[in-house]
Amino acid sequence: MQTYEYAIVGNSAAAINACDAIRARDPEGSIAVFSEEKYRCYSRPLISYLVAGEITTQGMYYRPANYYRSAKVDFHKESRVVTINPAKKLLTTAGKEKIKWRKLLLATGFMPFMPPVKGLAEVGYLTFTSWDDARKMLAITNKPAKALVVGAGLIGVKAAEALHARGAAVTMVEKMDRVLPLALDERASALVEERCSGMGIDIITGEGVNSVESLGSHQGRASVSDGSEIDFDILVMAVGVRPRTELAEAAGIKCRGGIQVDERQLTSEKDIYAAGDAVLAMDIVLGKPTLNALWPVAALQGKYAGANMAGEEVPYPGCNSMNSVEFFGLPVLSAGIVNPPGSGYEVITREDSEGEYRKAVIKGDTLVGMLMTGKIERAGILTSLIQEKANVKRIKSCLLDEGFGHINFPHSVRQDRIVESLAGLNKVEAMRGRGG
Amino acid sequence: MIRIVPKEEYCIGCRLCEIHCIVEHSKSKNMVKAYKSERRPVKRIEVEEEGHVSFALQCRHCDEAPCITACLSGAMQRDAESGAVINDPERCVGCWTCILVCPYGAVRRDEAERKVVGKCDLCPDLETPACVANCPNEALVIVED
Repeated sequence: MQTYEYAIVGNSAAAINACDAIRARDPEGSIAVFSEEKYRCYSRPLISYLVAGEITTQGMYYRPANYYRSAKVDFHKESRVVTINPAKKLLTTAGKEKIKWRKLLLATGFMPFMPPVKGLAEVGYLTFTSWDDARKMLAITNKPAKALVVGAGLIGVKAAEALHARGAAVTMVEKMDRVLPLALDERASALVEERCSGMGIDIITGEGVNSVESLGSHQGRASVSDGSEIDFDILVMAVGVRPRTELAEAAGIKCRGGIQVDERQLTSEKDIYAAGDAVLAMDIVLGKPTLNALWPVAALQGKYAGANMAGEEVPYPGCNSMNSVEFFGLPVLSAGIVNPPGSGYEVITREDSEGEYRKAVIKGDTLVGMLMTGKIERAGILTSLIQEKANVKRIKSCLLDEGFGHINFPHSVRQDRIVESLAGLNKVEAMRGRGG
Repeated sequence: MIRIVPKEEYCIGCRLCEIHCIVEHSKSKNMVKAYKSERRPVKRIEVEEEGHVSFALQCRHCDEAPCITACLSGAMQRDAESGAVINDPERCVGCWTCILVCPYGAVRRDEAERKVVGKCDLCPDLETPACVANCPNEALVIVED
């Protein structure tokens, strides 16, 4: 039976960044990566770019073709891990392979959440979360198609945009009263909605799909809660995602709506680590373990998991909710809290011209959230202030100015950030400040 | 690798660094052509100024670079030879995640050219980066580590 020093379940952002972090510290220890898909590591968020024709299939790959070979990683493709045994340090795959490991990383990611919609099982719907889904979408939209997208979150709106680029007539149905209700605030949602409507996308908010009826392989008819019926050639279900914890739970690893880890990304079981979209990890802004199913967060967790697996004790500095997406040419960036959950927050907004909207959310003297649309230059300075929990009392009035920058910081802070930071960027403290 | 350190006590805010950065990253590397007859490249250095205080800032090429970790496509990478953080325009899709995470605000959009981001590349074709070489008052200096 083969034994690996490191076995990694998953092959996306967390897994690959863990591989890199392990190799940087342990050049020889054997590494195996298990993926249920047939593709080398690709960037899941790019499938909308692929469908829209903005990138080629080559542009999908996160690492060069020789990555696994040059990193000395055994890539087990189409090899779904079905059980893990923490006591025996064993895993089995769907192909009945048995593999031993010394350290294991669970980077199992997310899976689409399906609401109880009558008849859904009979319709060949897509979730727009995998390369295979993108291929099916490309094939179906080779002919003029009517598309129905259920759910107007990030995946739903990007799917609608991609379908529109393919020439499909798109209708989007969202249960909440606006598009991107969780990622954005009301104003930014309205700006995105205007863009979508302007491109001819039909948006129905405040309604859900009650049932669907199959009219062929992927065609069907949906009954909407407002009483209307919508015929479709392609149905995208983008209601939300859930962490894939089933493998961890079956192995007795502690989960609570996500795999629980300590600050080394270690689970409740010895030598089993977890990172990425399936994991409850420290959110700097919320101050508690949180699911942030986002590529940059998964990558950062993978990096720290890998370092710890290779024996270097570095605590995960925490991250926060963050999104950078462009919808029909309108860039939208956000970090931290964009919709204050109660009182006790100070909100500053400005909109110099239509579509150039900015918002800062402050609690006490700390910036806890920001949102920018249109002009997004230098947004990262605000993100860094959020992550450093910097006191912004004296710079509050200019935070959202177009020229805002280090010039607005006190001289000593500026000196520290720009010049002194060069000396010790490797230090954990520096990593903490910059989120990576 | 080399790092560029700004000295605000010497900076006069002339913005020659910005101009020479643009010229160096232009097609012809000719100042008049770069500004007048070619598509003008995005500046990769920014002079911040308020009152009599000014300094120029470009990518710090952080050892632990948040833009590399956050990059969705894998376009942002460290150049093994120079140690510089370099964006591969072929792989960049213009998602702006690097702009969202750069603590220095040192990554810019190049909207004209397939939306790729423009950032300091330490002028690989030059002995000394253009901004440093053309600063009239040594307000940008090179340190090696």
